[in-house]
Amino acid sequence: MKSLWEKIGKNEYYVAIFKNPFTYVTGAVLLAILQIALLASSGNPWGVSGTFTNWGAWIYEALGGSVDKWFYFSSEGAQNTLNNGFLNDPGTMSNLGIIFGALLATLMASQFKFKKIKALRQVVAAVLGGIIMGYGARLAFGCNIGAFFSGIISLSLSGWVFGASLLVGAFIGSKLLTKFFM
Amino acid sequence: MKEFTLDCMGEACPLPLMKTEKQMEKMEVGDVVIVQIDHSCAMKNVPEWARNQGYNVEIDEVDDGEWEVIIEKTK
Repeated sequence: MKSLWEKIGKNEYYVAIFKNPFTYVTGAVLLAILQIALLASSGNPWGVSGTFTNWGAWIYEALGGSVDKWFYFSSEGAQNTLNNGFLNDPGTMSNLGIIFGALLATLMASQFKFKKIKALRQVVAAVLGGIIMGYGARLAFGCNIGAFFSGIISLSLSGWVFGASLLVGAFIGSKLLTKFFM
Repeated sequence: MKEFTLDCMGEACPLPLMKTEKQMEKMEVGDVVIVQIDHSCAMKNVPEWARNQGYNVEIDEVDDGEWEVIIEKTK
């Protein structure tokens, strides 16, 4: 049995598909094809962070709260999504797909690892970064997927504005990274 | 011909690449650095950068999700 796994591990197709990273062009082509499939099947362009907002609302409601009066959830569409429930939301499915797909990919490549947290500042940066990203994504009505990727492929000008702002943010971010982590 | 080790375990992109660039600046021609990484995107961008610079690069998978990128400063 062990020799079989070793043989598979050296197989050129296994190495090309599961082990080695895809080129950027391969990744771009796959993203282009799969987002068309997602749009065709769910009727909405691909988004990620909006779904997390709904997850937050469901958790809040499960704990006894109510978001009925919140402006963000006041539209009929938002209310319908919340009323249909966690498991009937296409966004929930695509986000769970990302999480479990990423786990599957790292397991298939035999690269799964629990990474050590090296310093407290990593935790602080991750938490602060997550809060700023989430807050910003809601203000912009989308993240780098919903507002940037899906915006540009819908031929919307807002996607390009978002992209230009991303560059400015990445520039400032890399300066902060150099200051605090180098 | 000195050999250096750069511990980038537990560090996310682009830090391993930035630290490697900084380390290479300090080194003399002929010196070797072993960059230890456990972030799969560093396994792509660190060797890519080093090869573009014209350095000799070797990647060694030391454990599940752990790599050593060995770079020789050739010029």
